[in-house]
Amino acid sequence: MKRKLGVVVIALGLLSVSVPVLAHHGFDTEYDAKKKVKLTGVVTEVAWSNPHMRIYIDVTGPDGKVTNWNMELTSPNTIRRQGWGPTDLKAGDKVVFEGFGGKVVESRGSLQTIMKVSDMKPLFGPGGPDAAQAQ
Amino acid sequence: MRKVLVISITLAGLCAILLTNLHAQGRGDGRGANSQPGRGDGTETNNRQGVLTDNGGVRYINPGSPTVPDSEVNSQPIPRLPDGHVDLTGPWVGGGSNGDIERDGGLKPGELPLLPWAKELRDRRLSKDEPYTACLPMSVPRVNPYPWKFAFSYTSKGLSHIYVLHETGDAGAHRVVYMDGRKHPDDLIPSWWGHSIGRWEGDTLVIDTVGYNDKFWFDSRGTPHTEKLPTIERWTRLNYGRIVNEFTLEDPGALSKPVQLKFTGRLLRPNLKTGGGELMEFICLEDNEYGAAAQIKVGTGTSNK
Repeated sequence: MKRKLGVVVIALGLLSVSVPVLAHHGFDTEYDAKKKVKLTGVVTEVAWSNPHMRIYIDVTGPDGKVTNWNMELTSPNTIRRQGWGPTDLKAGDKVVFEGFGGKVVESRGSLQTIMKVSDMKPLFGPGGPDAAQAQ
Repeated sequence: MRKVLVISITLAGLCAILLTNLHAQGRGDGRGANSQPGRGDGTETNNRQGVLTDNGGVRYINPGSPTVPDSEVNSQPIPRLPDGHVDLTGPWVGGGSNGDIERDGGLKPGELPLLPWAKELRDRRLSKDEPYTACLPMSVPRVNPYPWKFAFSYTSKGLSHIYVLHETGDAGAHRVVYMDGRKHPDDLIPSWWGHSIGRWEGDTLVIDTVGYNDKFWFDSRGTPHTEKLPTIERWTRLNYGRIVNEFTLEDPGALSKPVQLKFTGRLLRPNLKTGGGELMEFICLEDNEYGAAAQIKVGTGTSNK
């Protein structure tokens, strides 16, 4: 019974996570939910740019061709307020990332998760290293 | 029997949550309705999973702006200004709508009394065309999930102006509320923020605005208005952590009757090492690449035609 309740609690938790929003615009105007990607690459730039942050990542395909992915997050202010800063991810870091490709330009994507291969800890969510009670 | 009861309650709960989420997520076809959900009440900042979702459960990295949680809204007394009035400064998150003024303002679907042309236009508008995506002002009562604040400006004559500052930088850097007793001019040229005069009614700040243009959208759903629009905002600080905006919308050009809406704002957490309690720089035009991934031009919907 406990186990069943546990499953139910997890299911409820997952469902209740679906809260808005990308602040500047909607997802489906630009990105394709069917183009889910999970890739490994090397960061070439972490742009703390407005209105939204972008992380550029070189990904080497099976044919040896390198594609520079341009992955969008939310605003730099929002990420900064959660305690993340310029030292948390830098050019040259090897990363695993997931997201969704652009409707026309596939390598322009929305970023869902990103982790350095060295520690596999999710970056840029709530409660970064300097969060100081942010939650 | 007990087992059946538990399963039934569980299923009912799951259905209720699923329905709520479907409503919040919108149609997911990019055609206006809720395609940029954003309840505008700041509650998204309570998300602790590290990601938030948009249409159809698609996830972004967007942890939200940290706000004072419900458990701490009474942790301090309501502060007062040197002149004795309640200090409404903030910064606040929420207090207006972003995705859908009807839903976020407390109405049921279809209750916003739009005239037929306005409803038809709202349904026809595409979210990619909303002016804000090209960094134009959101205007009243719209807010995005970034903080904003009232800045009280005192001169030798007392409180003369209140500036409303949004953390959207060039997308409508500031709005002016005149507090010196002047009236609305009778020869206003329609503008993005209109002409606002304010007064205190007890501890409530009342802001009366006329002279809006018809170029901005009330929400990303595309709810339109006309230049006949006046608005009345009644801002009341409920406690240390929350503020309420009781909002009267009256537009004989787009609505069949005036309507009363209500929004709640949450205080930005002041105790953060990074950006705590302060607005931060935000320059919308710096690198706005919206539309590039789909190779489309955005933000062109500044007409009611």
